[in-house]
Amino acid sequence: MRAPRAAYPLTWRVMDVLERLAAIVWPSSFQRGLPYLMLMPALVLVGLLVLGLVQIGDTSLRTLDTNTFLMSESYTLANYQRVLTESFFATVAGRSLVGSVIVTVITLLLAFPYAYLMVRTPSSALRKFLLVALFLPFFIGQVVRAYGWLIILGNQGMVNEALGLVGVPPIRLLYNYPAVLFGLVQYMLPFAVLMLAPALTAIPGELESAAASLGAGWTRTFRHIVLPLSRPGLVGAGLVVLTLSLTDFAIPAILGGGTQDFIANAIYDQFFRTSDQGMGATLSLMLVAVGSMLVGVVFMLFGAGTLAMTGDRK
Amino acid sequence: MSHEKFLSAQIGRRTLLASMAAAGASAGLSTLGVSRAFAQEPEKPAEIIIRAWGGSWVDALKAGVSDSFTKNTGIAVRHDLTEDNEIQPKVWAAVAQKRVPPIHINWDTTTNATKSALRGVTEDLSDLPNLKNATDLAKPVGLDGYPIVNTYGYVYVLAYRPSAFPNGAPKSWKDLLDPKLKGRIALYNDGIGFHFPAQVAGGGKLEDIPGNMQPAWDFISKIKEQQPLLGEDPDFTTWFQKGEIDAACTISTNAREAKKNGIEIAWVVPEEGAKFDTDGLWIPKGLPENELYWAKQYINHALTKEAQQIWLDGLGLPGVIPGITPPADLVGDPSYPTTEEDFKQLIRISAKVQVENESQWFAKFKEIMQG
Repeated sequence: MRAPRAAYPLTWRVMDVLERLAAIVWPSSFQRGLPYLMLMPALVLVGLLVLGLVQIGDTSLRTLDTNTFLMSESYTLANYQRVLTESFFATVAGRSLVGSVIVTVITLLLAFPYAYLMVRTPSSALRKFLLVALFLPFFIGQVVRAYGWLIILGNQGMVNEALGLVGVPPIRLLYNYPAVLFGLVQYMLPFAVLMLAPALTAIPGELESAAASLGAGWTRTFRHIVLPLSRPGLVGAGLVVLTLSLTDFAIPAILGGGTQDFIANAIYDQFFRTSDQGMGATLSLMLVAVGSMLVGVVFMLFGAGTLAMTGDRK
Repeated sequence: MSHEKFLSAQIGRRTLLASMAAAGASAGLSTLGVSRAFAQEPEKPAEIIIRAWGGSWVDALKAGVSDSFTKNTGIAVRHDLTEDNEIQPKVWAAVAQKRVPPIHINWDTTTNATKSALRGVTEDLSDLPNLKNATDLAKPVGLDGYPIVNTYGYVYVLAYRPSAFPNGAPKSWKDLLDPKLKGRIALYNDGIGFHFPAQVAGGGKLEDIPGNMQPAWDFISKIKEQQPLLGEDPDFTTWFQKGEIDAACTISTNAREAKKNGIEIAWVVPEEGAKFDTDGLWIPKGLPENELYWAKQYINHALTKEAQQIWLDGLGLPGVIPGITPPADLVGDPSYPTTEEDFKQLIRISAKVQVENESQWFAKFKEIMQG
């Protein structure tokens, strides 16, 4: 006697077929290999990165022959010697490093209250407004935003026009170091808020209430409760802002007036203006090395913050 | 396909056009100067790709050369506006990997093109029939044959805002050192166009280039104290327009274009002289034979008097084919040199010397300006 169709629905049959197919493609004896398979995308990604770095490393050890515009066949450390001895590279590297640290500090100072207000405000309207204000800049590219600042801060821009109304002559607000740092802070702010917000959300509001009920003022609560518990977010946001600022190209190029180059601008110049791929590769490797060392130092001093994504297994 | 067949085919495709148009096409073909070449005319590609600079530059190329080439041959022309220094590594990589290059023709500065020629990625263009009509300017200095064909010359003038110079036009590059111009001047961000006049303004001699450029670096160091802005062609126009600068070392074409757009601007060739340089067209190696053939026909067409007249009217620059009429607004202008006397005011250094020393000059200029 045949079983009624309703006892074994069609969807189950489909699932059976799919399971049999899956068993053919991935037999149960392969189960131990599953974790390795899941690692494959990461291995491919890192592998490609390493391959690229090896290629860049190879190029960095070759010099440009300006008679043929070909790279030398033999290896030499001449490019590294130039980078370490010519003052131009020290100037640009110093400007990039100092600039990225300043941008990181200012960005975190601005991002923290923004993120805190966004997470803790009881007003959903305010929260939505802050979220929209946070995400809106993501729809506008970095270059467009930089050009926006040219319009606002230029000699004939809105700020100078406003100053003109009260009799102040035009001030050069653009094409200097502060303008570059200002542009970078504005660009990095949403990244920092996005990294901080989850860390602040994870701090139970009851902890602050408890501190207050025990007599702690807002400052004391902030110092002993909020700040220590938000450290993972601060570290994560700081690392993202630091590395992005250190490697930025567009903001120094557009708001710097050509005289405030960062390392990325110098790399571009070597690859595309002087056609010296060896020197460009050397600068690229050194930027990777300096950035990695900075990240390593932060990891050692403060831990990996939210980037570590650690948690006790249960 | 014979020349006659070629013409028939073209006219056949244009049966709806008036006979005037057909005659025009026929006349255009004769100006291509390749009647014998068409005897072995290979298959036409659907399009050829020309790398070009944007804005008024590509508009002028299109009006003067590309449109008439398409009209004469039926081959569409696509203009690739990738920056010249960014297309270069792509072309070099394609040739090295024996791939078909991403463009058929590169419209390039002669200095930049010379690098490609030295690297051996350029096709020889010595067999272009219209070269016999061209002046010596078409020949790249310091290179064998014609790996590049120079198509016009240009001058890095001292462009200025007349209202900022109430006592009259600046006469010398040293006038840029006037304290009132602090933060109000601009140079190219690689110093191009400024090194050689700076050598003279700094008290040096052109004969000492490249051996002793110290006078140039000394003068550029003084200019640095003036806090110049450093940029590219479009920046100068924007900066003049937005009131950011009062003077700049820039190509006369940019100054003229800004003036056409209503910006208050004039230009001079200062007493120390101004750099004269050329741009050219070249073809990367690795194109299929038929595409190489038609790319050569394009450059050959660019060397006709008719194409040069329209193209260079748009750019306001002197060409390499004799008999071109200067635009009315540039007659007698030192930025449009036509006579030997005009050229005496200008500084021309071979592209080979420039490319061999570019990296060092660039590094030195950057060291001064970024310090």
